Amino acid sequence: MTSLLDVRDLVVVYDTPRGRVVALDGVSLDLEAGETLGIVGESGSGKSTLGLAIGQLLPWNSRRLSGDLSVLDLSVFGGDDERLRRLRRDVLGFVFQNPMTALDPTMRIGRQLARAIGPRATRDSVRALLSRVGLAGAGRIEQSFPHELSGGMAQRAAIGMAIARNPRLIVADEPTASLDAWLRDQILELLISMCSATGASLVLLSHDLHVVSRYCRHVAVMYGGRIVEYAQRETLFRRQAHPYTRALLESAPGAEGPDGRLRPIQGLPPVITESSRGCAFAPRCGWMKDLCNDVRPEMQLTRDRSVLCHRAEEVLACRSGA
Amino acid sequence: MRIFRFIAFRLGIALVTLFGVSIIVFMAVHFVPGSYEDVILGPFGTPETRAIVRAKYGLDRPAVEQYLHWLAATARGDFGTSLTTGQPVAAEIIRRAPATIQLAVMATLLAIAVGVPMGIASGVTSTSQFGRTAGRLVGALGASVPVFVLGTIFVFMFSIWSLGLTVGGYVPLFEDPLTNMRAMTLPVVTLSVFGMALIQRTTRDSVLSVTSETHVTAAVARGERPPDIIRSHVLRNASIPIVTVTTVYFAYLLGGAIIVEQMFSVPGVAVYVVQSVRNRDYLAVQAGVLLAATVFVTINILADIVYALIDPRIGGKRSQS
Repeated sequence: MTSLLDVRDLVVVYDTPRGRVVALDGVSLDLEAGETLGIVGESGSGKSTLGLAIGQLLPWNSRRLSGDLSVLDLSVFGGDDERLRRLRRDVLGFVFQNPMTALDPTMRIGRQLARAIGPRATRDSVRALLSRVGLAGAGRIEQSFPHELSGGMAQRAAIGMAIARNPRLIVADEPTASLDAWLRDQILELLISMCSATGASLVLLSHDLHVVSRYCRHVAVMYGGRIVEYAQRETLFRRQAHPYTRALLESAPGAEGPDGRLRPIQGLPPVITESSRGCAFAPRCGWMKDLCNDVRPEMQLTRDRSVLCHRAEEVLACRSGA
Repeated sequence: MRIFRFIAFRLGIALVTLFGVSIIVFMAVHFVPGSYEDVILGPFGTPETRAIVRAKYGLDRPAVEQYLHWLAATARGDFGTSLTTGQPVAAEIIRRAPATIQLAVMATLLAIAVGVPMGIASGVTSTSQFGRTAGRLVGALGASVPVFVLGTIFVFMFSIWSLGLTVGGYVPLFEDPLTNMRAMTLPVVTLSVFGMALIQRTTRDSVLSVTSETHVTAAVARGERPPDIIRSHVLRNASIPIVTVTTVYFAYLLGGAIIVEQMFSVPGVAVYVVQSVRNRDYLAVQAGVLLAATVFVTINILADIVYALIDPRIGGKRSQS
């Protein structure tokens, strides 16, 4: 069966003036039609690189070292530019973090939407699109430039452009990070409702595990360029098999300990310059053993999840944090 | 309307600038060692004859009085009479302006026609090492060859193989377009090479920075065709720095492409002003410099208006957020 999105052992590096940085260190992922997947990670975890790789929108100083990523069986690294362009146009929709920079500052919103709809765009189809994203009755918005809109309105317009051709897969990278908190739920609900209305799949990238799990049925946790745990959200919230997932939950608001304080994760996320020999999280991990530094963990499939930890079973068995 | 207030404000600043320029040019011209009477009487003038000459042209009056007198006349549009030829300065400048304007306009158009496409090409190929190196090389080479070197090479080459072009032999454009173009091609090309390099470099850097903006990534993500992306999303956003260097370059050419005018015997304003400096023809120099400054300031105001037309975020309505 054709899966919508198929990522196999993808390794992507950036060549920077200060040397190579490994952004994706062997990522594998499957996504079926209609699914909603949240990918959670700190900045530097590789989640944005993964998101960009889905449309092969990686910057020019990046290189794919190995592995592959296919959308509807077309490898985005295959080198067929025209097919890739059609794939982006007809199958994929991207929503970026800051709508103010994702919209062309010198073009009126109406014209940008018309371009997103394509050559058959009419005044009516632009209006219809505006009302789909909750900007109805909006002759003024059509005539506006992006800087004349509020952040929330601009992000709605940007979502409108992403869904204009009814994509099968929407990739949204921190779509609410630049917006006021009270707008967050509105925008995410708009995204979810667009997906369920058209049967599109959603990949939502975020640093916030709670937000992701509220809107997505599946959650993948990324650390150091790898997916360290993947499960349905209920499974993940009931128990965590990876110490990092557990640490994320314990460091998030709502998980204060008896003393009323959160337990932040000690240390900083790593900048990896070569494929990690052991586990990338080991230096910050309370469960670390010698094994973790020396042997690279492989993905283990358990009954209800995949996890990338040598001590996953012990972590699962232990109710409280290490 | 904010745009009109903006223009009025800029005009005010322009007047202050020009007033400053008038003071500086007046002082500069009058404090240059050697003066008018030295030039016409030569080294053998006696103190008496020198005093007579000074008195005749009012050069013995206090500097402030001379300045105010000149400023008042200039404000009325009277540039005075040349001390060397006895002809009105304004008439001479008007007679020479077409050559200078033609030179500046054609050199600028040629520089745009070559520089912008080259800049776009090297901007969008800068993702490869080769494109990056080639783009830099062309820019650096064009910008670093001095005009007099280039002009000398052209003069030398075309004195051997004329190819129908002439060095010198200027006639006004509307009198005999063909002869005019034959005389103007070489100076125009010589002048425009620097502009091409300047515009190519600026375009390249600007295109490069716009293509790394998110809205261009977003356009790629929507599957727009690369030529459409460049036309619709990159060029307009990249054009402000290009307009800036082009206007400065154009104004600079109008202000005096002295080397090229001299080298190719183009009877332009710059040659006239330099001759006047040599002759201590105060009024002619003052008028020429003040005029060049006026042109410069005017062109810059026009550039500011163009910015506001290109980018709706400049000078227009305020953001609602």
